[in-house]
Amino acid sequence: MMAGAAAWTTSSHAQKPSLPVIGYLCPESPDLFGSRLRAFHQGLREAGFFEGQNVAIEYRWANGQYARLPALARELIERNVDLVVAPGGAPVALAAKAAGATKTIVFEMGGDPVQLGVVDSLSRSGGNITGVSSLSVDVSPKRLELMHELLPAATTLGVVTNPTSPTAPSQLQRLRSAAETLGVHLQIMSASKEDEFEAVFASVAKESANALVFTSDPYFAFRSKRLADLAMEYGVPAITQTRDFPMAGGLMSYGGDFMQSHRRTGIYAGRVLKGEKPADLPVQLVTKVEFVINLKTAKLLGREFSASVVSGADEVIE
Amino acid sequence: MIVRDRFRGLFPKYFLALFLAVAFPLVINGTIEAWFGYRDQRARLDQLLGVQATSAAAEIHNFISDIASQLGWLVQQPWSDEVDEERRTDALRLFRQAPAIVSVTLIDNNGLERLHVSRVGLNRIESRTDRSAEPALVGAHARQVWFSDVSYNRGSEPYLTIALVGNRSAVGAVIAEVNLKLIWDVVSAIKVGETGLAFVLDRPGRLIAHPDISLVLRGVEETTSQPFRAIRDAIGPRAGFATSRDAQGRQVAASEAPVAGPDWTVVVAQPLSEAYAPIYAALRRTTVLLAGSTIFAGLLAYAFAHRMMEPIKLLEEGTERIGAGSFEHRISIQTGDEFQRLANSFNRMAGELALAQQHQERIAKLKRFLAPQVADLVDRTGDDSVLDGRRTDVVVVFCDLRGFTAFSAGVAPEEVMSVLSEYYEVLGRVIAQFEATLISFSGDGLMVLVNAPVPVEEPALRAVDLAIEMQKRVQGLIGGWRSRGYNVGFGVGLASGPATVGRIGYDDRLDYTAIGSVVNLAARLCASAADAEILMDAGTAASVRDKRALEDIGSRQIKGFDEAIPVFGISCDAL
Repeated sequence: MMAGAAAWTTSSHAQKPSLPVIGYLCPESPDLFGSRLRAFHQGLREAGFFEGQNVAIEYRWANGQYARLPALARELIERNVDLVVAPGGAPVALAAKAAGATKTIVFEMGGDPVQLGVVDSLSRSGGNITGVSSLSVDVSPKRLELMHELLPAATTLGVVTNPTSPTAPSQLQRLRSAAETLGVHLQIMSASKEDEFEAVFASVAKESANALVFTSDPYFAFRSKRLADLAMEYGVPAITQTRDFPMAGGLMSYGGDFMQSHRRTGIYAGRVLKGEKPADLPVQLVTKVEFVINLKTAKLLGREFSASVVSGADEVIE
Repeated sequence: MIVRDRFRGLFPKYFLALFLAVAFPLVINGTIEAWFGYRDQRARLDQLLGVQATSAAAEIHNFISDIASQLGWLVQQPWSDEVDEERRTDALRLFRQAPAIVSVTLIDNNGLERLHVSRVGLNRIESRTDRSAEPALVGAHARQVWFSDVSYNRGSEPYLTIALVGNRSAVGAVIAEVNLKLIWDVVSAIKVGETGLAFVLDRPGRLIAHPDISLVLRGVEETTSQPFRAIRDAIGPRAGFATSRDAQGRQVAASEAPVAGPDWTVVVAQPLSEAYAPIYAALRRTTVLLAGSTIFAGLLAYAFAHRMMEPIKLLEEGTERIGAGSFEHRISIQTGDEFQRLANSFNRMAGELALAQQHQERIAKLKRFLAPQVADLVDRTGDDSVLDGRRTDVVVVFCDLRGFTAFSAGVAPEEVMSVLSEYYEVLGRVIAQFEATLISFSGDGLMVLVNAPVPVEEPALRAVDLAIEMQKRVQGLIGGWRSRGYNVGFGVGLASGPATVGRIGYDDRLDYTAIGSVVNLAARLCASAADAEILMDAGTAASVRDKRALEDIGSRQIKGFDEAIPVFGISCDAL
């Protein structure tokens, strides 16, 4: 967390005119984004770039107000940065793209960039844009499956979606089709602001659905601590996309490895700075989808994971 | 000797010969060494790349066979009709152990799908769809392990399907999808020299693995894979490495090795500049050494040629000086070889030339007053003591032109000289003919001596005949002169008797002369002789009386003599 803040302060006096400048468009605050930013810097270093030494970074923080992203993106483009890095989800990439950047955009998202219209295809982005996708959106149905496996008797499972997310419709579609296969009903709930979270958990406690499956969404991902606290408070089994959730006391998570995706974003940013064309850099998908469970939480909730689930978990918190 | 000459004559030949004698073997040796060095280095490179290709292939093979052997654990237990929770646990555990596996499908002994677990898609349990006819299963039954062709997920990520059957049919089969992007970890860890790399192609030549993952993600595209396929094709089936160009157009040395099982090819490629660096270094070393030795050889050749030229130069200078007449010059060469012998023989020659010159000079001096044949004779004896002063009997002959002084005053000097030169030419021939000694001539007068310095037989007779011949010849000339209106005549007087003869004069101006009253008498007789007249004293007449018809002219009063002297004449037709 401190590294992000440090980077924020160093950036102001690191604007040597000769250094190439990365415009870093971030949907959240330095505090919430710290772990991702570290991964990004690691990738950048692997490509041979060190902030303040041979590259300067201009940060723009939306602090969770995704509506501000287009304005911040335009700001970066007006600053004439050499490269726009748009990490943390489809809204960021779309905002950067919509701002009409003539410079290269390197995105990091959980969604399918082809489906979202960000790129033409994975191998040929067809523009000055490329990046990394963590597959988190694709695996939403897996989350439903895992929850179903934990609660095989449940007939209705709650699904939380962020209606402002560009990936929400496709995720819901996949979830409905998965629910059909699994033979469960879905109770769709919406939350696009932090203060709506509590209502969601409260309704679960009352309604027939007794578990929550969070769709892949950066807004949810960056608020894992809050979600974990609420889940514990209301005694609701829940699954989200990021390991931050079980780490913070949530039950389990299933999603792409954000460390990997942000690190690769850093590598790509470095390669673009070295002069490679984004057209020569295919969109990468992360290879690692991780499954993390918290046995302590399971015990507190009075639930038990089957042996096969435990053996399949990449990380088990006890 | 000036420097320019040095580069024309022998010096460049010596220099070239010596230089080539040293430099040529050096160059040959260097070239041979470089060639063998090049071959050795190539062989070493060949070996190195071959080993690296083989070990890279082994690593790729390990990656695949590790997955296959892990899959093998899923086909150990015979199938029953029950739902088998344990197999699902095994399959999920496999996911954790083998991150490259994307999905696993378990097929029972009847070819029915019993379990399908996936990282992304939904799992299927006991779907019991019949999959026995699928190529994966058919292939696995035939070969135990079956590898699909590489497919590209969403046109980007290379995927491979592996199907495996157990050791008996009851355990069924397993089909797994493998994301080959994870070979990156293996392939990027393979180091080929400093900047070399390894990559993997499938049978049709599509890129499966490469340290630059972005190339792999477009391996399905022809433009991406083509340069890599070109390298593989350049290597071909023959042994050893090949040189080709990579996608950036750099020259690379490449070697390949097959990956058994999926039938792939691992190619290791190293930039030629790096691969050949030892060869270039060796060549550079050889070149520098060669250049150094050549320069050294040049300096050595220069020094040797210079040393060899030194005596030749001395010889040349010496002979030039000797040729220019410095016969006293001696060439000093102490090399103890042919040059010294040559110098010695030049020195000998110079000595002989000096002697010859002295001889020539003496002859030239003698010839001034002796007839050439007499001069030679004197010289041959090698003794000019004949020219020493002594008292001997001689015959003195005087002759001169009558009325010449008056004539010379009346005509142009050229005409005078022309007449004189005709005159002396005629007289000179006669003197030489009779081997008489010319003592002196002045103006139109001439004094000739017979019997000195070389004594002759019957000197008086020879002198008389000489006088007759002179008179005859000159009269022939006078005929011509008179026709031109020159009124000159010619008279001769001769007398015999003892006189002192010898050389007089100084240094090179030495003359031979005779002193005595006989000389005066002959001069007086000549003076009193009229044109066409030859007058002689009684002594001479007595010596020739029997042989030549003389005319007794009677006594004449001769200037310088107290009494009248009997004088005899002889006609110039008397001979």
